[in-house]
Amino acid sequence: MHILELKNVNLTYYSKTTETNALKDVDFFVDEGEFIAIVGPSGCGKTTLLSLVSGILKPTSGRIFLNGKEVTGVNEDVGYMLQHDHLFEWRNIRQNIRLGLEIQKKLTPENSDRIDDLIEKYGLKEFAKSFPHQLSGGMRQRAALIRTLATNPSVLLLDEPFGALDFQTRLNVCDDVYSIIKKEQKTALLVTHDINEAISMADRIIILSKRPATVKNIHVTNLGTYSSPLSRRESPDFSKQFEKIWKELNDNETQTRVIDQSAPIP
Amino acid sequence: MKHKQELSTNLRRYLKKTRQRKLLILSGQIGFLILFLALWQILTDCGVLDSFITSSPSKICLQLKNLSVTGELFRHVWVSTKETLIGFVLGTLIGTVTAIILWWSPLLNKIFEPYLVVLNSLPKVALGPIIIIWAGTGQTAIVTMAVLISVVITTITMLNGFNETDENKILLLKTMNATKFQIFTKLVFPSNLPTLLSALKINVGMAWIGTIMGEYLTSKAGLGYLILYGGQVFKLDLVMTCILVLCVVAAVMYLIVAKIEKMLIKWRN
Repeated sequence: MHILELKNVNLTYYSKTTETNALKDVDFFVDEGEFIAIVGPSGCGKTTLLSLVSGILKPTSGRIFLNGKEVTGVNEDVGYMLQHDHLFEWRNIRQNIRLGLEIQKKLTPENSDRIDDLIEKYGLKEFAKSFPHQLSGGMRQRAALIRTLATNPSVLLLDEPFGALDFQTRLNVCDDVYSIIKKEQKTALLVTHDINEAISMADRIIILSKRPATVKNIHVTNLGTYSSPLSRRESPDFSKQFEKIWKELNDNETQTRVIDQSAPIP
Repeated sequence: MKHKQELSTNLRRYLKKTRQRKLLILSGQIGFLILFLALWQILTDCGVLDSFITSSPSKICLQLKNLSVTGELFRHVWVSTKETLIGFVLGTLIGTVTAIILWWSPLLNKIFEPYLVVLNSLPKVALGPIIIIWAGTGQTAIVTMAVLISVVITTITMLNGFNETDENKILLLKTMNATKFQIFTKLVFPSNLPTLLSALKINVGMAWIGTIMGEYLTSKAGLGYLILYGGQVFKLDLVMTCILVLCVVAAVMYLIVAKIEKMLIKWRN
């Protein structure tokens, strides 16, 4: 059984004047422990896809299954990590990390201990009582990841989690987040516009087309022998894969451009 | 070693400079006050200004002494301060609760938006006669005036703060399956604590405006009453003294709120 499965998912937005087809027959699965990246042209609905999996949005048609159960409302079994860390400035790091459990009313003594273990294991203990503004960007992002892990979700949804960081920090945080996710044996679904990032982290890369987004291709990276995203970037295969995915994304654009040009002609 | 020493002398020079600047500002502030008072005194003493119309620092001191000896001053200060405090607390509370309700229901928010705009631009003093007819000529009318003046601005300030809460932080809480109540208590309210405190600061001034206005309209005691009385019988010493006392009391209230702000918002730089 797949841990996550999307079956013919469609999503249409309605506004006063138009209806927009955001997703069209999106169909894929994720197995337990896999790291999946989703790439696609900007504005194609990558984030929307994560909102659907988390249950914040409902698909217009099609079904989504998580752990064999259909997703019908907001799902506490997924953890969502956004582009900015969104740590609450008025809470210290420990209180920030406990936020999810507080909200889900799961702040039992064992969960509390588990959180403190996570804080210690991933080097945040000395910052536990610090406020977010006292931490560096990389540390803040790590705290945000631990906050996501605190509710013990089975699938992590990462929405461009490194987008707000500068390049240097980005590479390091990328390594950091990857190793923590692997250590905690979590399944992850990463949305990114950065092809390098996708290849360096993911086992499989789902390539979406321009809107209405549909799964165009699924690329298997096969870089499992490399231990970290940074070392993967050194693999001889890396640039070849980049080129392939780049081409597929661009192919898509020229194709749609042709369609766009023909569209106004009656 | 030499480098380190050099650095520390530079640092010392820098610290000295900032200290000197602070001292300069403070002495400038005090100096201005002394200069102003001295000029006032001298000009009235040599007859350039008529102390019957402008009063003078020495006459104000005398008036202050006389009023304190009889205990009259404290009675009036207390009456006004009490009215202001009640108006301040009620205005802030009612305003904040209204803002919470309007944040909670976007529909109500939309319905009442134009009314808030109109109420905000309406000079509340214009309602004076109506307040007196409805609330009587006692202290209730004065407190009502103080509440009216502070409540609308509080509602608008707080509502703006609530509505400007970071959408992505709300999204984060929604992905954690938070209820609307939790979104409010965990995020919207705490993130707007600074807004609330700046509203409090504004309201200190607003409540005083309301109280003095109310006392001008109808009162038997209070600083506003004394000022009005002093003006009517042309006792400028009394008027000036009351204004001075008013400045001090309002400043003290403001400083207390500023102190509370510092205590509550420790997480801020």
